[in-house]
Amino acid sequence: MGVGIEVKDLNAWYGANHTLHDITLNIPANQCTALIGPSGCGKSTFVRCLNRMHETTPGAKVTGSVRIGDVDVYNGSSPVEIRRRIGMVFQRPNPFPTMSIYDNVSAGLRLNGFRNRKALDEIVERSLKQAALWDEVKNDLKKKSGASLSGGQQQRLCIARALAVDPEVMLMDEPASALDPVSTSKIEDLIFELKSQYTIVIVTHNMQQAARVAERTGFFLNGRLVEFDSTHKIFTNPSDKRTEDYITGRFG
Amino acid sequence: MSFKNILAPIASIVGVTLIGIVIFLGVYSWPAVKFNGFSFVVKNDWNLGNLYANPVMHRGHLIMPGAQYGILFLIVATLLSTLIAVVLAVPLGVGSAIFLSDGVPAVLRPWLSFFVELLAAVPSVVYGLWGYAAVIPLLSHTVFPWMAKHLAFIPFFAGDTGSGYGLLTSGFVLTLMIVPLITSTMRDALISQPRGLREAALALGATRFETMWSVILPSTRRVLIASSILATGRALGETMAVLMVGGGALNYLPNNIYAPITTMAAFIVSQLDSALEDPTGMAVRSLAEVALVLCVISVIVNGAARLMLYFSGYQRLGGGGWA
Repeated sequence: MGVGIEVKDLNAWYGANHTLHDITLNIPANQCTALIGPSGCGKSTFVRCLNRMHETTPGAKVTGSVRIGDVDVYNGSSPVEIRRRIGMVFQRPNPFPTMSIYDNVSAGLRLNGFRNRKALDEIVERSLKQAALWDEVKNDLKKKSGASLSGGQQQRLCIARALAVDPEVMLMDEPASALDPVSTSKIEDLIFELKSQYTIVIVTHNMQQAARVAERTGFFLNGRLVEFDSTHKIFTNPSDKRTEDYITGRFG
Repeated sequence: MSFKNILAPIASIVGVTLIGIVIFLGVYSWPAVKFNGFSFVVKNDWNLGNLYANPVMHRGHLIMPGAQYGILFLIVATLLSTLIAVVLAVPLGVGSAIFLSDGVPAVLRPWLSFFVELLAAVPSVVYGLWGYAAVIPLLSHTVFPWMAKHLAFIPFFAGDTGSGYGLLTSGFVLTLMIVPLITSTMRDALISQPRGLREAALALGATRFETMWSVILPSTRRVLIASSILATGRALGETMAVLMVGGGALNYLPNNIYAPITTMAAFIVSQLDSALEDPTGMAVRSLAEVALVLCVISVIVNGAARLMLYFSGYQRLGGGGWA
């Protein structure tokens, strides 16, 4: 089951570049939350702060607090522990090219020391079914490399890989922006299916996508959270002029 | 004249030269091949014969009395010293490549990399001289006696540690010479792996070590094999350094890892002068046969490595295990 995320006074830097300013918001459990905004507005940096991926970039720095469920992300936990509880899907599909489809999906579990073959088989099957990829790959699980699939399949494989460890939160950083329309709609259907069980945070610069999949939407601009509200309100009656300008296409 | 017609002859120079050298070696050493027969590669008796007597006819060949040629000890020494060097250099080279690509701040990386490449550019005679003056005294007085005492349980590690000139010293010097080759190729391969791959592993909760070991390193497997082939080739053919620290063994096999050796390449250099004294020319032709055998060994080693490369292809998936 998913858990909520509480973010308080989050600031982030890349070197001297202050990319996030005082972000405070609460992301509800078992819903999909979309983050929109023009390129460079800090929305990707924001999700990367949630699972401490931001700090893997040299020179990066974070202050403020993030709580995921009852876990304080920046206080008392190691980044490795945090990342094991949070699934992440990236803009470019990044399956492990030297591993089979099966090994890709089970990678996170094996990393946690999970060795029971029978249980692994079941989890791999369940995760691939959840990611709507099972029927396409079930005959080549151990024969084909993760890199031999098409782009859209690779991205669903990456989603299956993230789901296999049964995360409490799924972060998706523009998961469909490198994909064709058919693959994109498959990913969106998937998000729709998954959000009853997981808390999903999706970064997108496709506003229709946000409108289609998310209950709540946050609008970022120049490293600040301008507005955070129900998706319906953001797209029909935003309270901030800048949000309105953005969603009506006046800039960005 | 078309682009292709200009470039084709230029590109073929390399291949033609190689074939030309092998044909020359074959033709030039042919009398020796016939005279020595198969025993050339299975016997330990390199003997130029009595150079002050008159040449005699023996089995249809004009040779100096008592002359016979068998180079098993050279083949064994060459293969063993190369084996030691590659076994030591692969982990060392990969380890330092990992360090250079992942373990040092980006600002320091070009400097450290520069030193590694400089190490590869040092002429081998300098390694030889350094080995002779600095390494051998240390090895013979301190390291080898310690090893013979404490590692005696390993086969060939016990026994007389000799003068410091020998198989293990040659292996060490060769290691130093081929580590930079492996390091610089592997460093480039590791750095050029897509960032997304690293992020995927980190985001799954892999530690930096697990990310490197299970995800990044396996995807550079082909480069590792290719650079090991290059390194093996260099070690097999290295002449000057092993000539200076090998100990110049003649006609006997090393009985332990410290024993003096001569490698094929070093032997050709060290024996050429004496061989030229042979008026029948059989000695020089036999040296050419040594060169031919060295070429054949290089080709076999290369071929074997390439087969490994072929079988490690993406279709045949390897382990990819985390542990």
